[in-house]
Amino acid sequence: MTQATGPVEQTQADQSTVLESLRTRLADLKDEPGSLLEALYIAQEMLGYVAPESIEIISEELGYPEAHVFGVVTFYTLFYTEPQPKHIVRVCRDLSCHIAGATKIAARARQEIGAHPGHASADGLLKLELVSCLGQCEKQPALMVNLDVHGPVTEEEVTDLIRSLREEDQ
Amino acid sequence: MPELLAVNKNLFVEDAWQLDVFKGTGGYERARRALTEMSPEDLIAMMEASGLKGRGGAFFPTGMKWKFVRADPNTPRYVIANGDESEPGTFCNRFNMELDPHLFIEGMIIAAYAVDSHFGYIYIRGEYGRAIERVEQALADCYADGILGDDVLGSGYKLDLRLRRGAGAYICGEETALFNSLEGKRGNPRFKPPFPTNSGVWRKPTVINNIETFACVPLIVENGAEWFQELGEGDENAGTKIYCLSGVINNPGVYELPMGVTARELIYEYGGGLPEGRTLKGFKPGGASAAILTSEQLDVRLDPSIAQYDTIMGTGGVIVMDETVCMVDAAYRDALFFEEESCGFCIPCREGTPNLVQILERLMHGQGVMADLQLMEEIGDSMASSFCGLGQFAYRPVVGAAQKYRDEFVAHVEGSCPAGSCAIANN
Repeated sequence: MTQATGPVEQTQADQSTVLESLRTRLADLKDEPGSLLEALYIAQEMLGYVAPESIEIISEELGYPEAHVFGVVTFYTLFYTEPQPKHIVRVCRDLSCHIAGATKIAARARQEIGAHPGHASADGLLKLELVSCLGQCEKQPALMVNLDVHGPVTEEEVTDLIRSLREEDQ
Repeated sequence: MPELLAVNKNLFVEDAWQLDVFKGTGGYERARRALTEMSPEDLIAMMEASGLKGRGGAFFPTGMKWKFVRADPNTPRYVIANGDESEPGTFCNRFNMELDPHLFIEGMIIAAYAVDSHFGYIYIRGEYGRAIERVEQALADCYADGILGDDVLGSGYKLDLRLRRGAGAYICGEETALFNSLEGKRGNPRFKPPFPTNSGVWRKPTVINNIETFACVPLIVENGAEWFQELGEGDENAGTKIYCLSGVINNPGVYELPMGVTARELIYEYGGGLPEGRTLKGFKPGGASAAILTSEQLDVRLDPSIAQYDTIMGTGGVIVMDETVCMVDAAYRDALFFEEESCGFCIPCREGTPNLVQILERLMHGQGVMADLQLMEEIGDSMASSFCGLGQFAYRPVVGAAQKYRDEFVAHVEGSCPAGSCAIANN
């Protein structure tokens, strides 16, 4: 099973090579009814998002109409139809985390990333998302960097975290 | 009264997620006994006698569910573990999947045998990375050890289980939406009836139970129906419930207690009460979907009978609020959640949830009028006709808060926030 549930580092590989290997990897899923979400996870892991070409290949290999595949991709918040920054910072905005100060956490994350929620930072590395309950309420306020959980976090820790994510890439 | 440990016992056993450690605690012996020494009918009767009810929040009697599935002549039949836990304030399934994944898998094996099913799915929300890893490892270990596959525990019974991930959609915890998701579709719910017991995944008879429900099953086989029945508080309640505690509380976390403890016991005896100097204002007994109860209602029992107070037991995710929490703001958080998570399939929910968000935003910005309070109730009345439970419950925490804390809502219309914590107070 693939591990990435969010964007991964864009490879420099020729996209057509990646797409051909997607075709190969989908072979295992052909005999597994209803495995469309798994196929989408694989496609997203390979390119960092579900590209229109990936939708075409999934449609051909698994026998779904392209419109169906697109409808499924856009239903689920963990799938993306556009290239994504390497790190998505997901801050929970629901009640428990909110009571514990999630609004300040989100504000600090926004300030450090330097872009509004849902938009990539100028260096293209980071994005803030305000998300529904992550099921980490004992760690209130909680956030995730891609799928890595942090919590309870303070505003200072958010600053440190985002700065260290940037430094990793220098 | 000490915390009761049954389902959560292995959370305190180091590395219980590893197969050999789990086996050392008696793991898979219950399934072996069930498959080799008991008949499916005996097992179903045992579940019925135990009083086990679905822990996902609907509290449907588990034994009865299994009986309906077994009675349906259609095959193949399926078993599904619902690990899509996404209700705000709820995180107990995550602990069980991460730290003790074999216990609920053992329960699934017993359930499959009881309803003569040879295939099942475990559906886990996509955000639960660690739970997904642990369950994937547990399944691989089971196959390698002959616990799953063509000869389950040497009994000759065949059972395959597959792990599937959700991808960020609260609605997929609704059982029929979950079926659609498993079938590779958008997670819109389906009309009921027919119910999953007759028409579940792939339109076949399906047992779908919460992770916690399945985790109770091996313990019932091991200790007997009567033991389980007696764990609950009072005659109506059987077994334990894993309550989740968060919000303004000293010790947030999971607590396995007799089903039916009072909110006062949970919050003050186990959760350590509120931090020094903070006063309880209200609490939500079961996640976002549950309407708030006030500090005067601390002695209600956290079990399905809580419905008499116009709220629900839900998932047992208790969220505690103190006097600094603005009730308009709290209602707004719930409204925002349901707006985001509404699947958009039916109009009352798709239109009603953003309408509630807009009204609450107005109130929090000093732009609300008295008629808004009435309007919220009217929107709620329309939302009651929503297609599935999401919309049918989404308005209740908002309308409930506006009724219970009416003075506070009226104060917002008049331009002030008594708690001093929402947008109006910061202007």
